[in-house]
Amino acid sequence: MNNVLKNTPLSIFDKYAPLQSRVDLMMKIGKDALGLKFDDIISATRGKIDGREILLAGTNNYLGLTFDNDCMTAAKNAVDRHGTGTTGSRVANGSYDEHIQLEKILADHLGMESCVVFTTGYQTNLAAISGLAGDNDVIFMDADAHACVIDGTRLTSSSTIRFRHNNPEDLDKRLKRQGDISNGNALVVIEGMYSMFGDIAPVDEFVDVTHRHGGYLYIDEAHSYGVFGPTGCGIAEDQGVLDKIDFISGTFSKSLASVGGFCASRHKEFEILRKVMRPYMFTASATPSNICAALMAVEKVKEGQNLRNNLKKRSIQLHSGLSEMGYDICADASPVIAVRRANEAVAAMEWNWLIENGVYVNLAVPPGTPQSSSLLRISLSAAHTEADINILLKAFSDLKSNQQELISKMSSRLTK
Amino acid sequence: MSKPTRKEIHDKICELLKPYNPKNHPIKENSGIMTDLEVDSVAVFDLVMGLEDFYDVSIPMELISDIRTVGELSIAVKELTE
Repeated sequence: MNNVLKNTPLSIFDKYAPLQSRVDLMMKIGKDALGLKFDDIISATRGKIDGREILLAGTNNYLGLTFDNDCMTAAKNAVDRHGTGTTGSRVANGSYDEHIQLEKILADHLGMESCVVFTTGYQTNLAAISGLAGDNDVIFMDADAHACVIDGTRLTSSSTIRFRHNNPEDLDKRLKRQGDISNGNALVVIEGMYSMFGDIAPVDEFVDVTHRHGGYLYIDEAHSYGVFGPTGCGIAEDQGVLDKIDFISGTFSKSLASVGGFCASRHKEFEILRKVMRPYMFTASATPSNICAALMAVEKVKEGQNLRNNLKKRSIQLHSGLSEMGYDICADASPVIAVRRANEAVAAMEWNWLIENGVYVNLAVPPGTPQSSSLLRISLSAAHTEADINILLKAFSDLKSNQQELISKMSSRLTK
Repeated sequence: MSKPTRKEIHDKICELLKPYNPKNHPIKENSGIMTDLEVDSVAVFDLVMGLEDFYDVSIPMELISDIRTVGELSIAVKELTE
Protein backbone atom coordinates (compact mmCIF):
# COMPACT_ATOMS: atom_id res chain seq x y z
CA MET A 1 0.00 0.00 0.00
CA ASN A 2 1.46 3.39 -0.86
CA ASN A 3 1.80 6.23 1.66
CA VAL A 4 -1.07 8.23 0.29
CA LEU A 5 -3.48 5.38 0.92
CA LYS A 6 -1.90 4.52 4.29
CA ASN A 7 -2.45 8.12 5.44
CA THR A 8 -6.05 8.28 4.29
CA PRO A 9 -8.20 9.23 7.29
CA LEU A 10 -10.56 6.53 8.53
CA SER A 11 -13.51 8.86 8.42
CA ILE A 12 -14.47 12.17 6.84
CA PHE A 13 -15.13 13.40 10.38
CA ASP A 14 -11.62 12.65 11.74
CA LYS A 15 -10.50 16.21 11.13
CA TYR A 16 -12.98 17.33 13.76
CA ALA A 17 -11.46 15.17 16.50
CA PRO A 18 -9.84 18.14 18.35
CA LEU A 19 -13.16 20.02 18.23
CA GLN A 20 -14.99 16.90 19.44
CA SER A 21 -12.61 16.74 22.44
CA ARG A 22 -13.49 20.35 23.28
CA VAL A 23 -17.21 19.56 23.04
CA ASP A 24 -16.74 16.42 25.17
CA LEU A 25 -15.03 18.53 27.83
CA MET A 26 -17.89 21.05 27.72
CA MET A 27 -20.43 18.25 28.10
CA LYS A 28 -18.53 16.87 31.10
CA ILE A 29 -18.79 20.29 32.71
CA GLY A 30 -22.50 20.65 31.90
CA LYS A 31 -24.68 21.71 28.99
CA ASP A 32 -23.75 22.26 25.34
CA ALA A 33 -23.42 26.04 25.11
CA LEU A 34 -23.78 25.92 21.33
CA GLY A 35 -26.87 23.74 21.45
CA LEU A 36 -28.89 24.85 24.45
CA LYS A 37 -32.51 23.64 24.51
CA PHE A 38 -35.29 25.79 25.95
CA ASP A 39 -38.44 23.98 27.08
CA ASP A 40 -40.38 27.18 26.49
CA ILE A 41 -40.03 30.88 25.71
CA ILE A 42 -42.56 32.72 27.86
CA SER A 43 -41.82 36.39 27.14
CA ALA A 44 -39.01 38.68 25.97
CA THR A 45 -37.28 38.15 29.31
CA ARG A 46 -38.39 34.73 30.55
CA GLY A 47 -37.98 31.18 29.32
CA LYS A 48 -37.90 27.67 30.77
CA ILE A 49 -34.97 25.26 30.95
CA ASP A 50 -35.21 21.84 32.65
CA GLY A 51 -38.74 22.72 33.72
CA ARG A 52 -37.62 25.82 35.62
CA GLU A 53 -38.26 29.46 34.77
CA ILE A 54 -35.14 31.37 33.77
CA LEU A 55 -34.30 35.06 33.25
CA LEU A 56 -33.20 35.60 29.63
CA ALA A 57 -30.19 37.92 29.39
CA GLY A 58 -28.49 36.64 26.25
CA THR A 59 -31.02 36.90 23.42
CA ASN A 60 -30.08 40.22 21.71
CA ASN A 61 -33.76 41.17 22.05
CA TYR A 62 -32.67 44.75 22.62
CA LEU A 63 -36.07 46.43 22.43
CA GLY A 64 -38.03 43.44 23.73
CA LEU A 65 -40.40 43.53 20.75
CA THR A 66 -40.69 39.76 20.12
CA PHE A 67 -43.85 39.67 22.25
CA ASP A 68 -45.10 43.16 21.31
CA ASN A 69 -48.84 42.87 20.56
CA ASP A 70 -48.70 45.00 17.40
CA CYS A 71 -45.72 43.07 15.96
CA MET A 72 -47.38 39.73 16.74
CA THR A 73 -50.66 40.85 15.16
CA ALA A 74 -48.84 42.11 12.05
CA ALA A 75 -47.13 38.71 11.66
CA LYS A 76 -50.40 36.79 12.17
CA ASN A 77 -52.29 38.99 9.69
CA ALA A 78 -49.51 38.47 7.12
CA VAL A 79 -49.97 34.69 7.35
CA ASP A 80 -53.74 35.10 6.88
CA ARG A 81 -53.22 37.38 3.89
CA HIS A 82 -50.24 35.89 2.05
CA GLY A 83 -49.61 32.44 3.53
CA THR A 84 -46.69 30.86 5.35
CA GLY A 85 -43.84 30.96 2.83
CA THR A 86 -42.64 32.56 -0.39
CA THR A 87 -41.35 29.26 -1.85
CA GLY A 88 -38.54 30.89 -3.78
CA SER A 89 -36.23 33.80 -4.43
CA ARG A 90 -37.26 37.28 -5.45
CA VAL A 91 -35.45 37.01 -8.79
CA ALA A 92 -37.34 33.84 -9.68
CA ASN A 93 -40.67 34.17 -7.90
CA GLY A 94 -41.00 37.95 -7.65
CA SER A 95 -41.33 40.27 -4.68
CA TYR A 96 -44.34 40.54 -2.41
CA ASP A 97 -45.82 43.93 -1.66
CA GLU A 98 -44.43 43.77 1.89
CA HIS A 99 -40.81 43.26 0.70
CA ILE A 100 -41.06 46.47 -1.34
CA GLN A 101 -42.84 48.34 1.44
CA LEU A 102 -40.21 47.41 4.05
CA GLU A 103 -37.38 48.48 1.72
CA LYS A 104 -39.05 51.85 1.21
CA ILE A 105 -39.74 52.40 4.91
CA LEU A 106 -36.17 51.51 5.88
CA ALA A 107 -34.67 53.70 3.13
CA ASP A 108 -36.82 56.62 4.32
CA HIS A 109 -35.93 56.03 7.96
CA LEU A 110 -32.21 55.94 7.20
CA GLY A 111 -32.39 58.79 4.64
CA MET A 112 -30.87 56.53 1.97
CA GLU A 113 -31.52 56.29 -1.77
CA SER A 114 -31.74 52.52 -1.93
CA CYS A 115 -32.45 49.62 0.40
CA VAL A 116 -32.47 45.86 -0.20
CA VAL A 117 -33.88 43.37 2.29
CA PHE A 118 -32.42 39.88 2.72
CA THR A 119 -33.57 36.62 4.26
CA THR A 120 -31.15 36.68 7.21
CA GLY A 121 -28.69 39.12 8.73
CA TYR A 122 -25.79 36.78 7.96
CA GLN A 123 -26.74 36.69 4.28
CA THR A 124 -26.99 40.49 4.23
CA ASN A 125 -23.28 41.08 4.81
CA LEU A 126 -22.33 38.02 2.81
CA ALA A 127 -24.29 39.35 -0.16
CA ALA A 128 -23.56 43.06 0.02
CA ILE A 129 -19.81 42.81 0.71
CA SER A 130 -19.20 40.13 -1.90
CA GLY A 131 -21.34 42.07 -4.37
CA LEU A 132 -19.70 45.44 -3.80
CA ALA A 133 -16.06 44.34 -3.87
CA GLY A 134 -14.75 43.30 -7.27
CA ASP A 135 -11.44 41.94 -8.59
CA ASN A 136 -9.51 45.20 -8.32
CA ASP A 137 -11.05 46.53 -5.12
CA VAL A 138 -9.44 46.20 -1.70
CA ILE A 139 -11.47 45.56 1.44
CA PHE A 140 -10.22 47.05 4.71
CA MET A 141 -11.91 45.22 7.56
CA ASP A 142 -11.92 45.89 11.31
CA ALA A 143 -10.00 43.17 13.17
CA ASP A 144 -13.05 42.30 15.30
CA ALA A 145 -15.44 41.96 12.36
CA HIS A 146 -18.26 39.43 12.65
CA ALA A 147 -18.01 36.07 10.87
CA CYS A 148 -20.52 37.18 8.20
CA VAL A 149 -18.24 40.08 7.22
CA ILE A 150 -15.24 37.74 7.05
CA ASP A 151 -17.23 35.21 5.02
CA GLY A 152 -18.40 38.00 2.71
CA THR A 153 -14.78 38.88 1.97
CA ARG A 154 -14.06 35.19 1.26
CA LEU A 155 -16.68 35.17 -1.50
CA THR A 156 -14.84 37.89 -3.41
CA SER A 157 -11.68 37.90 -5.46
CA SER A 158 -10.65 41.18 -3.80
CA SER A 159 -7.75 41.50 -1.41
CA THR A 160 -8.70 41.95 2.23
CA ILE A 161 -6.56 43.85 4.71
CA ARG A 162 -7.36 43.81 8.42
CA PHE A 163 -6.85 46.94 10.54
CA ARG A 164 -6.62 47.22 14.32
CA HIS A 165 -9.94 47.24 16.07
CA ASN A 166 -11.72 50.60 16.40
CA ASN A 167 -8.53 52.38 15.38
CA PRO A 168 -8.97 55.01 12.62
CA GLU A 169 -5.25 55.91 12.76
CA ASP A 170 -4.34 52.31 12.03
CA LEU A 171 -6.79 52.29 9.09
CA ASP A 172 -5.19 55.50 7.84
CA LYS A 173 -1.75 53.87 7.99
CA ARG A 174 -2.90 50.78 6.08
CA LEU A 175 -4.71 52.81 3.43
CA LYS A 176 -1.52 54.86 2.94
CA ARG A 177 0.55 51.68 2.78
CA GLN A 178 -1.75 50.29 0.10
CA GLY A 179 -1.39 53.49 -1.98
CA ASP A 180 -3.35 54.03 -5.16
CA ILE A 181 -5.63 51.13 -6.02
CA SER A 182 -5.33 50.61 -9.74
CA ASN A 183 -8.77 50.43 -11.42
CA GLY A 184 -10.41 49.80 -8.08
CA ASN A 185 -11.66 51.24 -4.81
CA ALA A 186 -11.18 50.80 -1.09
CA LEU A 187 -14.19 49.42 0.78
CA VAL A 188 -13.84 49.97 4.54
CA VAL A 189 -16.02 47.72 6.69
CA ILE A 190 -16.78 48.47 10.34
CA GLU A 191 -19.56 47.76 12.82
CA GLY A 192 -21.50 50.21 14.99
CA MET A 193 -21.55 48.31 18.27
CA TYR A 194 -19.44 45.16 18.32
CA SER A 195 -21.36 42.05 19.31
CA MET A 196 -18.92 40.40 21.68
CA PHE A 197 -17.54 43.25 23.83
CA GLY A 198 -20.34 45.79 23.22
CA ASP A 199 -17.81 48.50 22.39
CA ILE A 200 -18.69 51.36 20.06
CA ALA A 201 -16.87 52.45 16.88
CA PRO A 202 -15.72 56.06 16.41
CA VAL A 203 -17.73 56.18 13.18
CA ASP A 204 -17.24 59.91 12.66
CA GLU A 205 -13.45 59.41 12.58
CA PHE A 206 -13.76 56.42 10.24
CA VAL A 207 -15.88 58.54 7.87
CA ASP A 208 -13.14 61.15 7.81
CA VAL A 209 -10.26 58.72 7.19
CA THR A 210 -12.14 56.63 4.61
CA HIS A 211 -13.34 59.56 2.54
CA ARG A 212 -9.96 61.35 2.76
CA HIS A 213 -8.53 58.31 0.97
CA GLY A 214 -11.38 58.24 -1.54
CA GLY A 215 -12.83 55.00 -0.16
CA TYR A 216 -16.37 53.85 0.60
CA LEU A 217 -17.51 53.23 4.18
CA TYR A 218 -19.71 50.23 4.99
CA ILE A 219 -21.11 49.97 8.50
CA ASP A 220 -22.89 46.98 9.99
CA GLU A 221 -25.37 48.23 12.58
CA ALA A 222 -26.78 44.77 13.40
CA HIS A 223 -26.43 45.31 17.14
CA SER A 224 -26.98 49.08 17.14
CA TYR A 225 -29.94 49.72 14.81
CA GLY A 226 -32.94 50.49 17.03
CA VAL A 227 -30.72 50.94 20.06
CA PHE A 228 -28.76 54.16 19.39
CA GLY A 229 -29.50 57.52 17.81
CA PRO A 230 -32.43 59.93 18.30
CA THR A 231 -34.66 57.90 15.94
CA GLY A 232 -32.91 54.56 16.45
CA CYS A 233 -30.92 54.47 13.19
CA GLY A 234 -27.79 53.41 15.07
CA ILE A 235 -24.32 54.63 15.97
CA ALA A 236 -23.79 56.64 12.76
CA GLU A 237 -26.94 58.63 13.52
CA ASP A 238 -25.90 58.97 17.16
CA GLN A 239 -22.57 60.49 16.06
CA GLY A 240 -24.26 62.77 13.48
CA VAL A 241 -22.70 61.20 10.37
CA LEU A 242 -25.49 58.99 9.01
CA ASP A 243 -25.71 61.02 5.78
CA LYS A 244 -21.98 60.40 5.14
CA ILE A 245 -22.25 56.61 5.31
CA ASP A 246 -22.04 54.87 1.93
CA PHE A 247 -23.58 51.56 2.97
CA ILE A 248 -25.40 50.63 6.17
CA SER A 249 -26.51 47.10 6.99
CA GLY A 250 -28.59 45.65 9.77
CA THR A 251 -30.59 42.65 10.87
CA PHE A 252 -34.23 42.03 11.72
CA SER A 253 -33.31 39.44 14.32
CA LYS A 254 -32.33 41.78 17.13
CA SER A 255 -34.17 45.09 17.70
CA LEU A 256 -36.64 44.31 14.92
CA ALA A 257 -37.76 41.07 16.61
CA SER A 258 -37.99 39.01 13.43
CA VAL A 259 -35.59 37.26 11.01
CA GLY A 260 -33.97 38.92 7.98
CA GLY A 261 -31.66 41.80 7.20
CA PHE A 262 -31.16 44.94 5.14
CA CYS A 263 -28.48 46.94 3.39
CA ALA A 264 -29.14 50.55 2.45
CA SER A 265 -27.04 53.01 0.50
CA ARG A 266 -26.91 56.72 -0.24
CA HIS A 267 -25.88 55.70 -3.78
CA LYS A 268 -28.93 54.90 -5.89
CA GLU A 269 -26.69 52.73 -8.12
CA PHE A 270 -26.73 50.18 -5.29
CA GLU A 271 -29.93 48.82 -6.92
CA ILE A 272 -27.87 47.08 -9.62
CA LEU A 273 -26.53 44.72 -6.95
CA ARG A 274 -29.89 42.94 -6.90
CA LYS A 275 -28.70 41.35 -10.15
CA VAL A 276 -25.31 40.41 -8.71
CA MET A 277 -25.59 39.31 -5.07
CA ARG A 278 -25.74 35.53 -5.05
CA PRO A 279 -26.94 35.16 -1.41
CA TYR A 280 -29.87 37.43 -2.45
CA MET A 281 -30.58 35.83 -5.81
CA PHE A 282 -30.27 32.15 -4.98
CA THR A 283 -32.18 31.81 -1.73
CA ALA A 284 -35.85 31.98 -0.78
CA SER A 285 -37.05 35.45 0.16
CA ALA A 286 -38.17 36.29 3.69
CA THR A 287 -41.64 35.09 4.65
CA PRO A 288 -44.59 37.52 4.78
CA SER A 289 -44.85 37.09 8.56
CA ASN A 290 -41.15 37.90 9.10
CA ILE A 291 -41.34 40.97 6.88
CA CYS A 292 -44.58 42.27 8.43
CA ALA A 293 -43.30 41.82 11.99
CA ALA A 294 -40.18 43.83 11.00
CA LEU A 295 -42.34 46.48 9.28
CA MET A 296 -44.26 47.07 12.49
CA ALA A 297 -41.06 46.96 14.55
CA VAL A 298 -39.49 49.75 12.42
CA GLU A 299 -42.40 51.99 13.46
CA LYS A 300 -41.71 51.04 17.10
CA VAL A 301 -38.01 51.86 16.61
CA LYS A 302 -38.77 55.34 15.21
CA GLU A 303 -40.89 56.19 18.27
CA GLY A 304 -38.83 54.08 20.65
CA GLN A 305 -37.07 56.74 22.72
CA ASN A 306 -38.69 55.40 25.92
CA LEU A 307 -37.51 51.89 25.13
CA ARG A 308 -33.98 53.20 24.39
CA ASN A 309 -33.98 55.24 27.60
CA ASN A 310 -34.92 52.21 29.69
CA LEU A 311 -32.33 50.06 27.92
CA LYS A 312 -29.66 52.66 28.67
CA LYS A 313 -30.69 52.87 32.34
CA ARG A 314 -30.57 49.08 32.71
CA SER A 315 -27.17 48.93 30.98
CA ILE A 316 -25.71 51.50 33.36
CA GLN A 317 -27.30 49.75 36.36
CA LEU A 318 -25.79 46.37 35.44
CA HIS A 319 -22.42 47.76 34.38
CA SER A 320 -21.91 49.73 37.57
CA GLY A 321 -23.14 46.85 39.75
CA LEU A 322 -20.76 44.33 38.16
CA SER A 323 -17.88 46.84 38.24
CA GLU A 324 -18.42 47.38 41.96
CA MET A 325 -18.14 43.63 42.49
CA GLY A 326 -14.74 43.76 40.78
CA TYR A 327 -15.68 41.94 37.58
CA ASP A 328 -13.48 42.63 34.55
CA ILE A 329 -15.87 44.08 31.95
CA CYS A 330 -14.65 44.44 28.38
CA ALA A 331 -16.13 47.87 27.54
CA ASP A 332 -18.15 50.82 28.84
CA ALA A 333 -21.85 50.44 29.61
CA SER A 334 -23.90 49.36 26.58
CA PRO A 335 -26.66 46.80 25.97
CA VAL A 336 -23.92 44.17 25.56
CA ILE A 337 -21.92 43.63 28.73
CA ALA A 338 -19.12 41.05 28.45
CA VAL A 339 -17.50 39.75 31.62
CA ARG A 340 -14.01 38.39 31.02
CA ARG A 341 -13.21 35.05 32.71
CA ALA A 342 -9.92 33.29 33.31
CA ASN A 343 -10.30 30.57 30.66
CA GLU A 344 -12.79 28.51 28.70
CA ALA A 345 -13.30 25.82 31.39
CA VAL A 346 -13.95 28.37 34.14
CA ALA A 347 -16.33 30.35 31.91
CA ALA A 348 -18.19 27.15 30.93
CA MET A 349 -18.53 26.07 34.56
CA GLU A 350 -19.81 29.50 35.59
CA TRP A 351 -22.22 29.64 32.65
CA ASN A 352 -23.73 26.32 33.74
CA TRP A 353 -23.91 27.50 37.33
CA LEU A 354 -25.79 30.65 36.25
CA ILE A 355 -28.33 28.55 34.33
CA GLU A 356 -28.79 26.26 37.33
CA ASN A 357 -29.40 29.43 39.35
CA GLY A 358 -32.04 30.90 37.03
CA VAL A 359 -30.06 33.18 34.71
CA TYR A 360 -29.32 32.67 31.00
CA VAL A 361 -26.38 34.58 29.49
CA ASN A 362 -24.09 33.60 26.58
CA LEU A 363 -20.90 31.63 26.87
CA ALA A 364 -18.51 33.07 24.27
CA VAL A 365 -15.12 31.47 23.62
CA PRO A 366 -12.26 31.64 21.06
CA PRO A 367 -12.05 31.89 18.11
CA GLY A 368 -15.43 33.63 18.16
CA THR A 369 -14.15 36.27 20.56
CA PRO A 370 -11.55 39.05 20.31
CA GLN A 371 -8.20 38.68 22.13
CA SER A 372 -8.80 34.92 22.58
CA SER A 373 -11.00 35.79 25.54
CA SER A 374 -13.53 33.59 27.33
CA LEU A 375 -16.63 35.56 28.19
CA LEU A 376 -19.91 35.51 30.03
CA ARG A 377 -21.75 37.78 27.61
CA ILE A 378 -24.93 39.51 28.68
CA SER A 379 -27.29 41.25 26.26
CA LEU A 380 -29.94 43.44 27.80
CA SER A 381 -33.45 44.30 26.70
CA ALA A 382 -35.68 47.33 27.10
CA ALA A 383 -38.14 44.79 28.53
CA HIS A 384 -35.82 44.14 31.49
CA THR A 385 -36.95 45.87 34.67
CA GLU A 386 -34.84 47.27 37.48
CA ALA A 387 -35.81 44.14 39.45
CA ASP A 388 -34.57 41.90 36.61
CA ILE A 389 -31.15 43.58 36.73
CA ASN A 390 -31.08 43.06 40.49
CA ILE A 391 -31.69 39.33 39.88
CA LEU A 392 -28.73 39.32 37.45
CA LEU A 393 -26.53 41.20 39.92
CA LYS A 394 -27.47 38.83 42.74
CA ALA A 395 -26.60 35.84 40.53
CA PHE A 396 -23.17 37.30 39.67
CA SER A 397 -22.59 38.18 43.33
CA ASP A 398 -23.46 34.62 44.39
CA LEU A 399 -21.24 33.31 41.60
CA LYS A 400 -18.33 35.21 43.11
CA SER A 401 -18.97 33.97 46.65
CA ASN A 402 -19.44 30.37 45.54
CA GLN A 403 -16.13 29.96 43.69
CA GLN A 404 -14.97 27.21 46.06
CA GLU A 405 -18.13 25.17 45.49
CA LEU A 406 -17.77 25.75 41.74
CA ILE A 407 -14.17 24.56 41.63
CA SER A 408 -14.91 21.36 43.58
CA LYS A 409 -17.97 20.69 41.39
CA MET A 410 -15.85 21.18 38.28
CA SER A 411 -13.12 18.85 39.58
CA SER A 412 -15.61 16.11 40.39
CA ARG A 413 -17.32 16.41 36.98
CA LEU A 414 -14.00 16.41 35.12
CA THR A 415 -12.67 13.37 36.96
CA LYS A 416 -15.86 11.31 36.41
CA MET B 1 15.26 48.93 6.41
CA SER B 2 17.50 46.58 4.40
CA LYS B 3 15.87 43.45 3.03
CA PRO B 4 15.47 40.96 5.88
CA THR B 5 16.83 37.43 5.62
CA ARG B 6 14.70 34.30 6.10
CA LYS B 7 16.42 33.77 9.47
CA GLU B 8 15.58 37.31 10.63
CA ILE B 9 11.97 36.88 9.55
CA HIS B 10 11.76 33.51 11.30
CA ASP B 11 13.16 35.05 14.51
CA LYS B 12 10.65 37.91 14.29
CA ILE B 13 7.77 35.45 13.84
CA CYS B 14 8.99 33.50 16.90
CA GLU B 15 9.08 36.73 18.92
CA LEU B 16 5.58 37.75 17.82
CA LEU B 17 4.26 34.23 18.47
CA LYS B 18 5.34 34.26 22.12
CA PRO B 19 2.11 35.72 23.58
CA TYR B 20 0.07 33.18 21.61
CA ASN B 21 2.17 30.21 22.69
CA PRO B 22 1.61 29.95 26.46
CA LYS B 23 2.40 26.20 26.46
CA ASN B 24 5.83 27.04 24.99
CA HIS B 25 5.60 24.57 22.12
CA PRO B 26 8.97 24.48 20.32
CA ILE B 27 8.70 26.65 17.18
CA LYS B 28 10.27 25.10 14.08
CA GLU B 29 10.06 25.91 10.36
CA ASN B 30 7.63 23.05 9.86
CA SER B 31 5.49 23.76 12.95
CA GLY B 32 1.82 24.06 12.00
CA ILE B 33 0.75 27.46 13.34
CA MET B 34 -2.78 26.39 14.20
CA THR B 35 -2.21 22.64 14.51
CA ASP B 36 1.10 22.27 16.41
CA LEU B 37 1.27 25.65 18.16
CA GLU B 38 -2.49 25.75 18.87
CA VAL B 39 -2.81 29.39 17.81
CA ASP B 40 -6.47 30.15 17.01
CA SER B 41 -7.45 31.64 13.65
CA VAL B 42 -8.10 35.15 15.01
CA ALA B 43 -4.75 35.22 16.81
CA VAL B 44 -3.00 34.23 13.55
CA PHE B 45 -4.42 37.35 11.92
CA ASP B 46 -3.29 39.45 14.92
CA LEU B 47 0.20 38.03 14.51
CA VAL B 48 0.11 38.97 10.82
CA MET B 49 -0.78 42.59 11.64
CA GLY B 50 2.36 42.74 13.77
CA LEU B 51 4.44 41.47 10.83
CA GLU B 52 2.79 43.97 8.46
CA ASP B 53 3.70 46.83 10.75
CA PHE B 54 7.26 45.67 11.42
CA TYR B 55 8.12 45.15 7.75
CA ASP B 56 5.76 47.86 6.41
CA VAL B 57 4.06 45.49 3.97
CA SER B 58 0.45 44.51 3.31
CA ILE B 59 -0.28 40.81 3.84
CA PRO B 60 -3.79 40.18 2.54
CA MET B 61 -6.01 37.72 4.40
CA GLU B 62 -6.47 35.51 1.35
CA LEU B 63 -2.70 34.92 1.31
CA ILE B 64 -2.74 33.88 4.97
CA SER B 65 -5.55 31.38 4.39
CA ASP B 66 -3.16 29.21 2.36
CA ILE B 67 -0.36 29.31 4.94
CA ARG B 68 -0.09 26.40 7.37
CA THR B 69 3.44 26.48 8.84
CA VAL B 70 5.87 28.99 10.33
CA GLY B 71 8.19 28.35 7.37
CA GLU B 72 5.47 29.10 4.82
CA LEU B 73 4.71 32.37 6.63
CA SER B 74 8.35 33.44 6.60
CA ILE B 75 8.60 32.65 2.87
CA ALA B 76 5.51 34.79 2.20
CA VAL B 77 6.94 37.71 4.18
CA LYS B 78 10.31 37.29 2.45
CA GLU B 79 8.64 37.56 -0.97
CA LEU B 80 6.67 40.65 0.06
CA THR B 81 9.82 42.39 1.33
CA GLU B 82 11.87 41.65 -1.82
